[in-house]
Amino acid sequence: MKTIANKLDRSSVITRKKRGFFRNIVRHKTLLFMCTPAILFFFAFSYMPLPGIYVAFVKYNYRGGIFGSKFVGFDNFKFLYTSGKLFDLTRNTILYNLAFIILGNLVAVFMAILLNELRAKYFKKVSQTMMFLPYFISHVLVGLLVYNLLNYDYGFVNSVLTNLGLERWGPYSNAKVWPVLIVLIQLWKDTGYSSIVYFAAIMNVDSEIIESARVDGANGFQKIRYIILPSLKPTVIILLLFAMGGIVRGNFGLFYNIIGTNPMLYRTTDIIETYVYRATMTDFNFSTASAVGFYQSIIGFAMVMICNYVVKKIEPDYSLF
Amino acid sequence: MKKFFALLLVILMMVSMAACGKSKDGDTDTTNKTGNKKSDSGKTDDSDTGAIDTSEHVVITYMTTGDKPTNGATEEVMVELNKILKEKVNAELEIYYIGWTDYLSNYNLTLAQMDGTVDLVGTASDWLDAWPNAKNGAFLELSEDMLKTYAPKTWAQVPTENWEMSKYNGEIYLMPEDNFAQWINHGFIYRMDWAKEAGLTNGAHTWDDMTTYFAYVKEAYPNVIPWNSDGSHNIQLASGWMASHTNFLPIDGITAGGLYGGSRDDLYTVWSPFYEGPELVEFAKLMKKWDDIGVWKTDVLNNTGVDNREEMYLGQTSADQHHTETWYGTVEPEMRKRYDIDTGFFYFGEESSNVVSLNITHGAMAISAASKNPERALMVYDLIRNDEECYRLFNYGLQGKQYDLDENGYRIQPEGYNNDTDAITINYWWGRNDDLELKDGKRNHEAYEKLQEEYDKVKMTYPYGQFVAEVSSIQAQINNINEIHTNYMSQIAYGKYNGSAEDIVAEYRAALKQAGFEDVVNELQTQVNDLYK
Amino acid sequence: MNKKKNRVKLDISDKIIRVFGYIFVTIYALACVFPFLLILGTSFSTEAIVRIEGVQLFPAEFTTFAYEMILKGGTIWGSYAVTIIMTASGTALGLSIIAMTGYALQRKDFPYRNIISFYIYFTSLFSAGLVPYYLLMTQTYKLKDSYLAVFLPLLMTPWLIILMKNFVKAIPHEMTESGKIDGAGDFKIFISIILPMLKPALATIGLFLALGYWNEWYQSSLFLSSRVTYKPLQYNLYEVINKIQSLKNSIAAQYITLDDMPTETLKMATAMMSTGPIIFLYPFIQKYFIGGITIGAVKG
Repeated sequence: MKTIANKLDRSSVITRKKRGFFRNIVRHKTLLFMCTPAILFFFAFSYMPLPGIYVAFVKYNYRGGIFGSKFVGFDNFKFLYTSGKLFDLTRNTILYNLAFIILGNLVAVFMAILLNELRAKYFKKVSQTMMFLPYFISHVLVGLLVYNLLNYDYGFVNSVLTNLGLERWGPYSNAKVWPVLIVLIQLWKDTGYSSIVYFAAIMNVDSEIIESARVDGANGFQKIRYIILPSLKPTVIILLLFAMGGIVRGNFGLFYNIIGTNPMLYRTTDIIETYVYRATMTDFNFSTASAVGFYQSIIGFAMVMICNYVVKKIEPDYSLF
Repeated sequence: MKKFFALLLVILMMVSMAACGKSKDGDTDTTNKTGNKKSDSGKTDDSDTGAIDTSEHVVITYMTTGDKPTNGATEEVMVELNKILKEKVNAELEIYYIGWTDYLSNYNLTLAQMDGTVDLVGTASDWLDAWPNAKNGAFLELSEDMLKTYAPKTWAQVPTENWEMSKYNGEIYLMPEDNFAQWINHGFIYRMDWAKEAGLTNGAHTWDDMTTYFAYVKEAYPNVIPWNSDGSHNIQLASGWMASHTNFLPIDGITAGGLYGGSRDDLYTVWSPFYEGPELVEFAKLMKKWDDIGVWKTDVLNNTGVDNREEMYLGQTSADQHHTETWYGTVEPEMRKRYDIDTGFFYFGEESSNVVSLNITHGAMAISAASKNPERALMVYDLIRNDEECYRLFNYGLQGKQYDLDENGYRIQPEGYNNDTDAITINYWWGRNDDLELKDGKRNHEAYEKLQEEYDKVKMTYPYGQFVAEVSSIQAQINNINEIHTNYMSQIAYGKYNGSAEDIVAEYRAALKQAGFEDVVNELQTQVNDLYK
Repeated sequence: MNKKKNRVKLDISDKIIRVFGYIFVTIYALACVFPFLLILGTSFSTEAIVRIEGVQLFPAEFTTFAYEMILKGGTIWGSYAVTIIMTASGTALGLSIIAMTGYALQRKDFPYRNIISFYIYFTSLFSAGLVPYYLLMTQTYKLKDSYLAVFLPLLMTPWLIILMKNFVKAIPHEMTESGKIDGAGDFKIFISIILPMLKPALATIGLFLALGYWNEWYQSSLFLSSRVTYKPLQYNLYEVINKIQSLKNSIAAQYITLDDMPTETLKMATAMMSTGPIIFLYPFIQKYFIGGITIGAVKG
């Protein structure tokens, strides 16, 4: 459909082209005008910074600014590469995102199916509202919640442990536990939202199909296995692939508000975003920060292109371009 | 796909065209500006100094570290000051505050903006990045002519050798606060009453004494956190340890950390006790011990948002880590008022008599290179540094409201003075002047002078005043080393590491080596040799 | 409804699933709200109890002192004003731009729609990174310490425009055609025919925008320094949590000299006050929102 429409469009454009570019603009001035604010917006905030990428290749000097500083080629990348920093950051970012994507979708599908089985209307509504709650709060509050649950001196977990006569637990000085904790926190925050997305998708499944399956004697498990899960498959695959496209983009707010500037935990919790932010805003290391940023942009771009290519192969209708 | 790349190309071209236009604009802008400046100073050269054109009223912004006050008292004082400034140089002064949290990065970022937001910049070569900023082009070169013309009193007051120490590459960038006696060597402030209870009858004078003190407090006062640090004192502690246990003399102005330096007996061989020697391991061990004792909270590295000094006033913590001036000027009088107790001060380097007197650029004023009115900024500075009326307003506030003079000429708090509603925050630490200082009546001057004498007996004059390293070729290494240093020191200095002290130190040193630590030392050595040998 | 359901006999597997369902959903839902109850309980406790016993689910000693301190002065009212004004105007402005753009880009007879769509979409593929962005905002646009630095970048995202396009796609093209036959201009068609049909879209995207503004702290942390007295709510919360000076500024002056300032409970009370309003907004738009995310989710 889309490609045909494109072709039609293009052929009509070609025939009209000769008659004048300006006439075309005048003719569609209203629609163009309607797009103008958005065009200007993206120009100002997304395109204007692009030339600044050059900063990754200079020795930044305030007075010279980006384009007046000395060009140093790939010097800014050297340390990142030789120290293994780039590798560590990439590994952390990708592994966390993989865990978020895979576990997040599994739990969400699971919860959505369960929600679909419930019949008590009021219970359903209230539980949905409760599940949505974490999606609505800022990462700043998440950081505070986690700290009050887990801190050594007056955190809730430690209050419970001491009341049970057990020893206190100090996760803020133990880097090993954070991969698990952060994944749990992220699941807590966003899974309620995505289960409701999947739940809505299940509700779109033709109830006739389910009814007839029941009449044919399918039991509850079979219904889920053979009807509901297959019906979710396209949604899951598309969402997964789009998520994979963003796999080198970390969730800055989550990590920064929970870990803060505790270097003891960086080994397992430092992702590209937090490193760039610290390097820029705290250590004031513009050159290194921009080198990491540049690297991230390139890898991110490649990932999106690859994933879109795969989507196009599987389900052309859903591809982005 | 073809279409996609065609589009991509178009967009990139559009953007790069826009960028070229922009950067060209930027270039002409800066050349114009410097051109103007030069012709300006040239012009005043020819004409009479008396004929400085101040017909245009300008606003000069002064940037300082400190939290913006909210009680309105500072504004009142500034109104008075601005009346004088308007009359004398047709200018008014505004204050731009860099809040204390993450002050160094915010300070640098504000300077990096280079948009003329600030004119006068309070700076320091040891605790604020004066030299890195000067090298980065954030500060204006101050020509002799400019200084003579627009800040004649300051020019006359600062001796030639001190101007020499304010130069980089032959240009003056800083106007040093060199006529002001103060001691800001760091250490621990502790409660004398508890120290005595702990068996330290003469107070604490070594790191081991502090261990005794903290362990005692922890045991005797279970509700008191011996030292409720917010996790930011890492580098200060580590440097303090080195002062006490080595004869290391750090060179200022390369990084905020003071990682590189010489030694007392061999000034011009660059090395670092952080990189070699057994002291760091011992430090790591002791700090692990402190962590085990419970000197600070277990989650100290996430313990942001605590006010340790306030807690000390409230009796919730037993020590504060800061410098001599803070101890004597702030904490000591407050603790005396509240509890009628003595406080003590263990200064880093006490056991080894390793105390270095201040570098004259510990406080200095610079002019932002982006300032639109550098001449007028200099004129304002000359007044707040040398004019008695302006000086008193700027430093102390309004007589009768913020301060008064007693019969001895000491500065005292007037009756009815309320610190919350009347205190001013101007934080002028970049041009104080002993000729105009009013002695603080709150202080026990006798005892203070005794301590100063003690310092004077052992002190060593900062030996590297002339040395301003040219680090552009090793800037990348320095930045990365700095990051490694900060990260590891906050773990080592709070005992927050897994495994043995030897392991973490070895890991830290390996990271330093990887980041090019030896290159930096070699480069600095070359430059030191050029200057001193 | 009931009759229909009863037509199929429930076998044992259904019962197992249903029981499981109730258990899991209950646990999950409780886990979602539990941390809030902890913060809520602690915010009504006395500082002394918190210091000794830790955070409180049910306050052992009930007090509203922390709230009084915040309400009677300090900065929270200013923060409310900043955030509410930004959220309301930003959502309205962003929504109108997104709706206009989404409609125009979905019009099959608009020849530039592909190139403009790609122009917008490209920005989500490739970004310059933090340093160039920061330098542009502060040096070229000079937006340091300006609320605009927070307001403008949150107006829209490529994803929201694509979402809007998908909503518009569901409206038959004949609607536009019939408008044209009636002689209405493009803008008139958009306002009087299309917009009323986009209510679920506006509610959904509006909620995303509003959430973005309400929960914003990142741009503020980049661009708003201590020179700005009234920070947006969440950044205000961030500072109250992490900076002792901000905590002091956030309460009424008469309490500042208080010897035992309730620092922990104050943080909790500020957190509750900063989050409250947006949570109460949700039930009002829940109906549209759930419908909205369905379309959005499936069509990416």
